[in-house]
Amino acid sequence: MWAIIKKEVKTYFLSPIGYVFIGIFLLAFSISFNLELGYSNGIIDFQNIFVYIFTYLPTILVFAFLIPMITMRSFSEERKSGTEQLLLTSPVSITKIVIAKFISALVMVLIALLFTGIFIGIICFFGTPDIPAALVTLLGFALLCMAYVAFGIFASSLTENQIIAAMISIVTFVITWVLPEFIASGSNFSLINMFYKFTTGQIDIAYTLTYLAFTVLCLILTVTVMQRRKSAR
Amino acid sequence: MIEVKNITKKYGNFTAVDNISFEVKDGEIVGLLGPNGAGKSTTMNMITGFIEATEGNIVVNGYDISKKPGKAKKQIGYMPEGVPSYQELTAKEFVKYMAELKMVDRKTRKEEIENVIKQTGLEEVQNKLIKNLSRGYKQRVSMAGALVGNPDVLILDEPTVGLDPKQILEIRNLIKELGKKHTVILSSHILSEVSQICERVVIINKGKIVAIDTPENLETKTQNKNVIYVTVEDKNEKMLSIKNKVKDIQELEYIKDNEDGTKQYKIVSDEKIDLRKTLFDILPKEDITIFELKKAEVSLEDAFMKLIDDRQENTNRQQENIDEKQEKNKKKDVEFKSVSNTTKQGKNFSEANSEKTELENNQKETDKEKGGKE
Repeated sequence: MWAIIKKEVKTYFLSPIGYVFIGIFLLAFSISFNLELGYSNGIIDFQNIFVYIFTYLPTILVFAFLIPMITMRSFSEERKSGTEQLLLTSPVSITKIVIAKFISALVMVLIALLFTGIFIGIICFFGTPDIPAALVTLLGFALLCMAYVAFGIFASSLTENQIIAAMISIVTFVITWVLPEFIASGSNFSLINMFYKFTTGQIDIAYTLTYLAFTVLCLILTVTVMQRRKSAR
Repeated sequence: MIEVKNITKKYGNFTAVDNISFEVKDGEIVGLLGPNGAGKSTTMNMITGFIEATEGNIVVNGYDISKKPGKAKKQIGYMPEGVPSYQELTAKEFVKYMAELKMVDRKTRKEEIENVIKQTGLEEVQNKLIKNLSRGYKQRVSMAGALVGNPDVLILDEPTVGLDPKQILEIRNLIKELGKKHTVILSSHILSEVSQICERVVIINKGKIVAIDTPENLETKTQNKNVIYVTVEDKNEKMLSIKNKVKDIQELEYIKDNEDGTKQYKIVSDEKIDLRKTLFDILPKEDITIFELKKAEVSLEDAFMKLIDDRQENTNRQQENIDEKQEKNKKKDVEFKSVSNTTKQGKNFSEANSEKTELENNQKETDKEKGGKE
């Protein structure tokens, strides 16, 4: 399992995908940071600025396009190039393969997320931000990423076409994003709405568990798909 | 040791592999032979656990692939068809990754990787990206991936496809060398290759086993006629009359004129009778000079074609029978209609009814036959 994680993360950086991903990720946060500073008319709310820069633009951009970018290839490409045969005939079990693929994509997100620490640094230099609130926001964001990475991996296991895998993730994201706008009870199903609770600086146990449960569910579904394909191939 | 017991693979209504059983003993090289789409790769994919058999089981070195997949897969080194590999890795990185996937012991891993690279002749290109390698080297990289970890069983799907003659020779020698220590199954549709490398051959056609035997036995088994080609100088045009003088000749056929004035003939006799000696005795007496005389050898290729043709003929015959029956039924149907027309007019109702049941029975019979065939 460790071998797969090592190789996957390495592959992200052997192709431009890894760099493009981290680049756009940070670009989104920088723009958000800049916009927040612009809106504040010189009176900067140092307490909450870190929370602000995590909402809206980055969340939407990161989920709509960036997470599918790193998850779309994980199973689709192996299937298309036939290397799936090497992977699935190795003594590593399907469950371990799926977990390894999930962890390696998550590692990419976490690496990118670590870089956002720069913003905390900048804010600390000029004022005194609410550090615990910032860390809770980061935790919430990481949990949200985890859930979407798991879904992206699942989408990737469904098809050998990377574009289709990405489209499934994007469409699902857009639906859960706009659902609360149309249906009142939709907010209960929106993973993004749950994240906004974390930006208030509270760790919500129920929402944390929801994220974890959603992640586990997606991974179980992926394992099931892979196992079913074994007899349908 | 690989035991394949009654495995069947179905895709919907299509049966790709139909009730195949065979065994491969330790240290044996067995060739899976068959035309394209015969089910060779499907069979191999089932042995390696990549796909699941619809029925039957496969035991590799005592481990059932569906019950103990981890242990069974550890025994196997697999080189899939089309040699898939990770293009963005170097040859060495790929072999290392495969070694890690196969959980090769950390202490011996480095040594093992170096050995395999040396064995497959990859030393020169080990640090090049796989996507930049030529087809022949890609093949070797894939082979190295299968070999690393020194698995007992090697499964090679069309190992020499797309190679140049020199590379083919090298890979064949490598396989022969490997066969001394490993159990090897390889698939191919190149017959000469199989007859050179393999100790036993499993011929598959349309998902069924047609024959399992040594290449030599297959050749002799399918040889039911003795054919001799003879080139002679025959000034008095007496050659064709020889047939009347030697009663064992079943067929004597003129083949061609050569530029130097000699002629070639084909002489066919029963498989038990070798006419070469007789011909040497008789022809000079008839004033015919022998320039060349040779016995035609039946190759594995002929054996293969014959076995596959036999199958084809059988199925064709079955199909014809079914078609005939259907034709008959149709005729009866027409008769039935005319009969029922007459019954409408109030005549002989019971007779028409019995005819109808007979027709239905007939239809059922053909349906059953068809179902059985499928």
